[in-house]
Order: sequence, then C-alpha cells, then structure tokens
Amino acid sequence: MPNQPSNSVAPAGAAPAPMRWSPRVRALVSMLVALHVVALLVGPLSVPDSIMGRFLGRFYRPYLEVAYLNHGYKFFGPDPGPSHLVRYELELADGNRLKGVFPDRGEHWPRLLYHRHFMLSEFIMALSEPGDPRLPWEKQPLSERQRAYSRSYARHLLDKHEANRVTLYFVEHLIPSPQEVLDGMKLDDPGLYRTRKLGTYAADDFDDAVAVAKVAEERQ
Amino acid sequence: MNLVRGYLSELRREAVAGWNRFWFTPADPATLALVRILAGAMLLYTHLVWTLGLTDFFGRASWVSAEAAALAHGANEARSYVWSYLWLLRSPAALWTAHIAALVVFAMLTLGLFSRVTSVLAYLIAVSYVNRVPGALFGLDQINCMLAMYLMIGPSGAAWSLDRLRAARRARGRLPQAEPSTSANLAIRLVQIQMCVIYFFAGLGKLHGESWWGGDAIWGAVANLEYQSLDMTWLAAWPLTVAVITQVTVYWELFFCAAVWPRLLRPLVLALAIPLHLGIAFCMGMITFGLVMLIGCVSFVPPWLVRQLLSGAAAGCEEEHGAKGMEGLTRKGSRRAGKVASGSSRVKS
Repeated sequence: MPNQPSNSVAPAGAAPAPMRWSPRVRALVSMLVALHVVALLVGPLSVPDSIMGRFLGRFYRPYLEVAYLNHGYKFFGPDPGPSHLVRYELELADGNRLKGVFPDRGEHWPRLLYHRHFMLSEFIMALSEPGDPRLPWEKQPLSERQRAYSRSYARHLLDKHEANRVTLYFVEHLIPSPQEVLDGMKLDDPGLYRTRKLGTYAADDFDDAVAVAKVAEERQ
Repeated sequence: MNLVRGYLSELRREAVAGWNRFWFTPADPATLALVRILAGAMLLYTHLVWTLGLTDFFGRASWVSAEAAALAHGANEARSYVWSYLWLLRSPAALWTAHIAALVVFAMLTLGLFSRVTSVLAYLIAVSYVNRVPGALFGLDQINCMLAMYLMIGPSGAAWSLDRLRAARRARGRLPQAEPSTSANLAIRLVQIQMCVIYFFAGLGKLHGESWWGGDAIWGAVANLEYQSLDMTWLAAWPLTVAVITQVTVYWELFFCAAVWPRLLRPLVLALAIPLHLGIAFCMGMITFGLVMLIGCVSFVPPWLVRQLLSGAAAGCEEEHGAKGMEGLTRKGSRRAGKVASGSSRVKS
C-alpha cells in the first residue's frame, strides 16, 4: 500500500483531502494543541514528584484541574501491592451490633459498584504519608487526610444504619509468594491479614447539620 | 556551513508540513463516530451503576464528605480549580432529577442525537461526577472523561447517528455527504496522542518497581484476592510465563507511543492491546477499565477500515431511508475501498 497517513479519509492509493483551515487558523490551533500536549505531560511528570513536574505545574495546575487532566497514569505501578479493606462494627440504636466490610462481593454488585467501594478502602492507603520508622505498622499515626476520610466513612455508616457508634478498622491483605501458594497456602489465609484501628466515632461527634437536614427533609 | 543551513531549512520545512498533515488533514468522521458510540455506551453504563449507590456516594451523608473531598483535591493549595455541579444539589429530589437527566444525555450521545450539544454536556456531567467523589475513582474515570473531552471537538454525530437519520429525513431520503472534517481529525489525533502519553507513563511508572523489572509483577496482580475474578494462581508453577507476560506488558506500554504509528506495525501493536486489556478485564474483574482502554485504542483504526467493518449494518440502516450505498464513498470509491480492505487483511494476517 502507498504511504498514506493512517488516519486519512481516503483509502490507500487516494490523495488525502486538501487542507481546509486557513494558515492563520492552523497557527492558532497549533499553538493551543502544543500547550495542551505539554499539559498532558504535567500530571505524569508530577507523580512521583519531580523538578519538571513542579515547574510546569505552577502554570498548568488551573487548566489540569478544570479539565480533569491531573493524573499520573501509573496503573499498577510501581509494584502491584497488597490490597486494603475497611472493616466496621456498628452499635445500632436498638442496642444490636452489626459488622461489615467494604468492599464486599456479596453486597456490592455489579463489579463496578464493588470496585467503587474497593477504591474507597484503597484510598485510605493512598493518603498515607511517610511515617515514623521506629513505630510498627499498627501504630503509625494517621495523616490529616486519612483522618478526614476515616471520619467521612464513619459519618456515612452512622447515617445509613442510624447507628449510635461505629468503629473502623483498616485491614491490609498481603499477597503470598508463588512458593507459598505451591505449598498449599490459600489467598485468604488468616496469616496474610493485618489490622489496625482507624477510630471509634459516635453519632454525637458530628455536628447536627445532618440531623437538621434530615428533619427538614421529613417535613417536606 | 551550507550543508548545515540546508539541513536546518529542510528540517523546518518538513516539520511544518508534517505537523500540518498530522493535525489538519481533513478526515472521515467514521472513527470518531465509532468512538462516540462506544464511549457513550461506557459513560452510560458507568453512570447507570452510580444509580445503585446514588445516595451513598452523592447524597447528603455520602461516603465522601465535603471536608474529605476538599482535602483530597488539595485544600492546602492557594486555590482549587476543581468543580462539580453536584455539590449544589442538596435535596434527594434534585439529585435524582439531575441524575436521570445525566443518563438521558449519555443515551443521546450514544445514539448520536443532538450530538454537538450532548457531547459538551456529557463531558461536563462526567467531570462533575468524578470531582464529587475523589477516593471512589480509578482509571476508568480518567479515560471516560478524556474521551468525552475530545468528543466535544469533532463532529462525532456525522456518521451512524440519529442526527444523520434526521438529516436524511430533512433531505427527503437522500443523505448529504459526510464530508471530511478537520475537527474530526483533530479530535482523533488528540485521543491518539493522549493514549500514547498514558501508555508511555504507565510503562515508565512500572520501571520504578522491582517486581516489573524483576518479572513477577503479574503474580502480584493475579494473586490479589480482592481483584481476582478468575483464579490464575496456577501460574505459581510457571514463573517463566509470569516473567514473559510481565515484561511484554512493560515493553508494550513503553514502546506503544512509537510502534503504533508505522502502518505495518500498527495492527500488531493494537492486536497486543486485546489480550492485555481483556486479561485485566476478565482476570482482575476490571471489565470496564479493560474495555475503555480498548475504546481509546479504537482511535487508531483508520476511518476507511471502520467503514469496511461496519458497512453491513450501516448500509442496511441507510438503505431503509432511501440512500444508496455508503455515505462518503461513491461506487467507484466503494470498489476501491474493497480492494484496499482485502489488501489490509493480507497485511494483518
């Protein structure tokens, strides 16, 4: 086949369509395209942090945020690691207790909805900051953003189940080595899980904006 | 000295000509229309699934509170430019009304009804949803919004759309020619370039990790119970197979941005995308992510081949409305395209 641009309107052998935009329009659009293509590089260059990413980010951050282009695109990088879940224990208004976990394949269906809940629990890990190397994993302090998300999840669970109190636990599920699996270890072996407490939250801990809104809603 | 001057002059001339040819050659909107149908369907499905957790994720006491979202969006910065109209919807009735309207917009985009307007609305809606729930997102959302953004630029409803049927009805059965469009080319080129950026940095990011370099990263993916949808742990006994899949993945991602452009390599590069993304889809339960990446790869399928592949369905649909043959291809053009298609299948085989 003759050498044609692969996106050509014409099949191979036919002449490409002539340019329709004037040189002035092409120059203007070229400038915008060049700025946009550089913008596409800023997100990936900033994750993890780099001098070039920081420099370009000063100019491009508004555009990246408005256009939703501030992504690193490091899918499954740098290493596929352990997964994370959030386990919760609720004290309901009637005195009963309710335990649950997210994500939960039994509850969250279809798979995309399961994945949304999985990302919620994974996000707690993504928000962690460099900890104190002298402390064990279970005792590492939570970052401000981890605390905010933990509190947000607690508020949601308290509201959804009309509970008085909830305790959240962060669960890390480690990945066995190929040899361990060949030796008979299951992927859900209890030894592969480790748990730390995120916090205990009472319904009274939250401002009464929720309650006020709820009353207003009932009145409507 | 003359040699250098001559080289620089030719370099400038060829660079300008190549840039213009790449970005501004008018193109058949067929590929863009196919991307519209597939991306529109994915946006519709993605937001249909939000319906099942609408109040959980977007309601008054949602999983992600305003305080948490602000911190995730970088509240420490001087000013945030992240936006979402969903923050303004306070009552369940308003939320449900807006959500149903969003679903209608995505359905209209998929069908190609008022596609110039619905493509803009679809982008605004898609970005609003993702900005409302930082923490519940993954690669699917990034690619969804990217495709929606570029669909705004070109005439994505110029083929295989209700807009086209309406135009045929206005023309009393005779379809106007779907003319080559510069903006259709621009939109598709932007998708292609962004796919190259995504794959390149996905590959580069993996080289930071020991397991991708070492060759056992795929084990870490298949032995992750929370992702797993197909038990592939038998791979434990096949470390060399794991290493080959791992390293082919890295090198394919790294070199996609170069290897996808030569005409003869492109079918091979795109063919490798299928097992890679379907593997993610069916082994790791990320069907939507695997499929949306393949939709991005569709942007590399040339329009004439898209027409060849879809010609049966489209011709049947259009002949019902009195049009003879495929839009944009005269009888002579059809014969020529037929010859090319058989040639391309030889290349692919």
